[in-house]
Amino acid sequence: MMDILFSSLAAGILFGMALSLVALGLTIIFGVMDIINFAHGEFLMIGMYTGLLTAQAFGIDPLFTLPVAAAVGFLLGIICYLGFIKFLLRGPMIAQLLGTFGLMLFLRNLALLIFGPNDRAVHQGLLVGKSFDIGLGIIIPATKLAAAGLSLVAFAAVWLLMNRTRTGKALTATALNPQGARYMGIPTERMNALAWGIGGASVTVAGALIVNFWSVNPYIGLLFTMLAFAIVALGGFGSVPGAFFAGIVVGLITELPGFWDFMTYTFEFDWMSDIPMTSFKYMWVYVAYFVIMVVRPRGLFGWKH
Amino acid sequence: MEALKNAFDFSDFPRSDLIIAILVGVAFLIFPLFPYSAFAMATMIQFFIFSLYGMGWNTIGGYGGQVDLGKAQYVGIGAYTTAVMLIRWDIPFWFSMPVGVLLSVSWSFIIGYPLFRLKGHYFAIATIATSLVLKDLFEVWGFVGAARGLEISPIKYAPPDFLRLIFREDVYYYYVIFAFFLLGILYMNWFRKSRLGFQLRAIKDNENVAQSLGINVHWAKIKTYAIATAFVSVVGSFHACYIKNIEPEDTMSLNLSILIALMAMLGGAGSLWGPVIGAGVLIPLKSYLKEWLGASAGLVGIDLIIYAAIIMVISAAEPRGIWGLVEKLRRRRSR
Amino acid sequence: MKRIARLTSLCVVLLVAAALLLPSGAWAEKEIKIGVLYPLTGGAAAAGRELRAGAELAAEIANTAMADIDMTMAQKAGIQSLGGAKITLIFKDHEGNPTLGADLAKKLILDDKVDGLLGCYHSSVTKTVSAVAEQYGVPMINGSSTSPSLTERGFKWFWRTTPHDTWFTKDLFDFLKGLTEGQAKGVKAVPKKDIVTLASACEKTEWGSFVSALIEQFSQEYGFDLKKSLLYAKEAPDLSSEVRSLKASRADTLLFASYTSDAILMIKTLKAQKVQPRIIWGQDAGFETPEFQQTLSEDIVGILTRTVFLPQVVKVKPIAGQVNKLYKAKTGTDLSGASARSFTGLQTWVYILEKAGSTKPADIQTAANTIKIPGDQLVVPWTGIKFSTSGKEIGQNVLGSGLIGQYQKGSDGTVGLEIVYPFDVATTDMIYPFPNW
Repeated sequence: MMDILFSSLAAGILFGMALSLVALGLTIIFGVMDIINFAHGEFLMIGMYTGLLTAQAFGIDPLFTLPVAAAVGFLLGIICYLGFIKFLLRGPMIAQLLGTFGLMLFLRNLALLIFGPNDRAVHQGLLVGKSFDIGLGIIIPATKLAAAGLSLVAFAAVWLLMNRTRTGKALTATALNPQGARYMGIPTERMNALAWGIGGASVTVAGALIVNFWSVNPYIGLLFTMLAFAIVALGGFGSVPGAFFAGIVVGLITELPGFWDFMTYTFEFDWMSDIPMTSFKYMWVYVAYFVIMVVRPRGLFGWKH
Repeated sequence: MEALKNAFDFSDFPRSDLIIAILVGVAFLIFPLFPYSAFAMATMIQFFIFSLYGMGWNTIGGYGGQVDLGKAQYVGIGAYTTAVMLIRWDIPFWFSMPVGVLLSVSWSFIIGYPLFRLKGHYFAIATIATSLVLKDLFEVWGFVGAARGLEISPIKYAPPDFLRLIFREDVYYYYVIFAFFLLGILYMNWFRKSRLGFQLRAIKDNENVAQSLGINVHWAKIKTYAIATAFVSVVGSFHACYIKNIEPEDTMSLNLSILIALMAMLGGAGSLWGPVIGAGVLIPLKSYLKEWLGASAGLVGIDLIIYAAIIMVISAAEPRGIWGLVEKLRRRRSR
Repeated sequence: MKRIARLTSLCVVLLVAAALLLPSGAWAEKEIKIGVLYPLTGGAAAAGRELRAGAELAAEIANTAMADIDMTMAQKAGIQSLGGAKITLIFKDHEGNPTLGADLAKKLILDDKVDGLLGCYHSSVTKTVSAVAEQYGVPMINGSSTSPSLTERGFKWFWRTTPHDTWFTKDLFDFLKGLTEGQAKGVKAVPKKDIVTLASACEKTEWGSFVSALIEQFSQEYGFDLKKSLLYAKEAPDLSSEVRSLKASRADTLLFASYTSDAILMIKTLKAQKVQPRIIWGQDAGFETPEFQQTLSEDIVGILTRTVFLPQVVKVKPIAGQVNKLYKAKTGTDLSGASARSFTGLQTWVYILEKAGSTKPADIQTAANTIKIPGDQLVVPWTGIKFSTSGKEIGQNVLGSGLIGQYQKGSDGTVGLEIVYPFDVATTDMIYPFPNW
């Protein structure tokens, strides 16, 4: 029975780490300019398609497509900012929400038009289909392990960028106090664009990683947007370490059915078997979001209101 | 009496507006007398339905300034209440609809209390979260048919059945929803001049100042939310009788919530005609685009791309929607 | 001045609107229009293509004289009792969405003025479309939706040619029972305890949820131990928690009701998590489409699926072979359960119209309720087509039957379906237990 528990734990943590990377972009953008990007999941979706198609086009393993995905994400973020978001910032919050919604619908249906509605998945690759059997009946798919590992690397990279480089510190300064930053000579416009660039890049890289074990279709963005929001809320809007830990927590929450199963079989509670936990996988994430927002809006590590 | 007078008093609009409104109203009234295609009729009914959804949304989203993206859950509560009561206990629409409103409003109070402690984006996301949670619950609840949904049998009741709102021809549904539409407009006209309406405007302007003036901000928002909920629930009940087949994925989906908010915002949140204009533009656009473009498998999604582009342009250029544009143009001309 | 201009433009707009709203003119006569609703896009698009091809082929055969096909409808062109009128199919894509399906049905009935409907594959869409047809008194034939409730609603304008899930699921349990008694070709009697633990994962709409309930019901009747029954969303991009749950139940027999994309994902995930049951069975649908076979290739060897038709049937039914040849020439693949039943659905329309001799709904209704199409006219291995007109089920074909097939590697290296049930028509030895991944 323990293998059920450990399988779920492993799956939850690994998935959670990939999710953290997804949420990272959102929290950076929010931290620097207080805008919620409803199209965040669509960026992820684009990252997934990029990873998949680049791998198929060049015949290389999807894992090596990360730099391409990062470049695409970076460019996409900057273009969105300069071409659209910049104008939204002037308007009221309603307009911003409306605007990023529009962006979400636009990207989603553009993808639908270009790629068609069918699921696509990675079928070949160095790690696809392989898994590690670490005993006790626990199987860890190699792709998930790689995704988690690489997302850790990405996280570390971003953290270093934000805290150890001049640009990064300038970004943080803009986030904390835009007016003050401007007085200090930091070009806020450029910082905003950069934030979108880095935010975009991190989420597309996450996409290129996730596509190794999730199939992609144009509609997949919304689920991840919601998960990302929940993670950012939990971890604290604007906090990078917060996104990391909250991501893992959310990943574990999505594995609730597994834990439930474990309890069912260990304690022989047959009534538990009748409750279809797998149908509510994500519901608990939304519940957690709600609870956190009401009880502690700052999140675990947040420093914004 | 005062309230009734207020509802019918449109005098703060320029005369030309009222003339157009009356002409359009008459056009709606006589529309079914001309030959029409089933497609056009369905589109008109959809227009009225979404105008009403939009009007309801507008109370809290437009006048109240709180972007609510979880309206679909109340469509679901209204629709399911009517469907369940009809199927299980043969209770007609006119009784089940108020019950649906009661349930919806109760639910809105339960989640409204914690919900309105949030603001801005957090509020918006929380509304999405609650709607999705409710939908997920309905999908596994056997009593309402779980994911299979409920079907109102088209042959069990002899149409036309005015009590249960079961008709064979769409034209009956047309007039019923048109009547609701007119009532909705009158109500909104009253609402924007009511005390609650003014309170909301003060809150939207500056919440802290409103609070200091003695307005119970939290409570005002909750009350408005309840009103929005009631609107949506009524139409949800109608929807159940019209479509006769409801399932969570269809009736309570996030897409529906977003669509409702979108139409109101596009037309002009915070104005009386905004939601109607928004629905009037987007519903025909959606239907006809889909007819002309979406049909061929190679162009799936173009209608929504155009939609989305319109939304993006309006939000960046004129966040107050089409009505905002109209007003802006007027002000400019009158100078 | 301004105001008049505004009023005039408004009137113009209204006039134009009115013009746009007028329905298009009536079409030429001597043509019978059948509205066909299938999922041409979306998760079941692969099946949709087959369904469409099957119906189109049947219409082609009916409309032209093809002497080398042994069907009465192929002998002359068009419907003889209607003066050689030809069948025109109007296809609409419902994308798997029941509300859209109902909308399209209304348009077909009111705007296109079809004489009848055919469709829709997804039981959830057939449910709403048939409700619309019933409301307007337009006859509808359903060829491939198998949820039992569809013929239990007392509808007078709905006929279903395919057998439904109650039969098919019972077939499954009879098969399992037979397996324990040594009736399966090439397999010694399997001790019941080896396969008694079951787990099921079904998609959660109309079709899957009924299959799930039927599995529960029959497991009790036949004395099997159902450890877990899951319902999932057919468009889910990831099924790993579902599969983990199945694995945790330690069931030896896994039963599925999945459409195309989820069937593929399910098997892939089972393989990835090294879930090793003794039997894997699918309730047709996704498990039978060419896409399933092509994407998973050799991984599917050993998987059982309920089916209504498979290429091996041509060995016993020459008429199936004749039609299959044409079908293969048209699409490049063999007939399958979906295309064969779609073909049969339209064929039934043709025979009913032939018998009715008119397109008046009441005449069609009478013809449908009294018709009997003998089995030798059909490509599917049924005794025939005859619809029930009383009792709990109305409009259900009582002469149909199902098969259980198993994917096996042929001597030429390709993977295809072989018949394993009914036991007396098994075409080869069954593979048991399910081979290691």
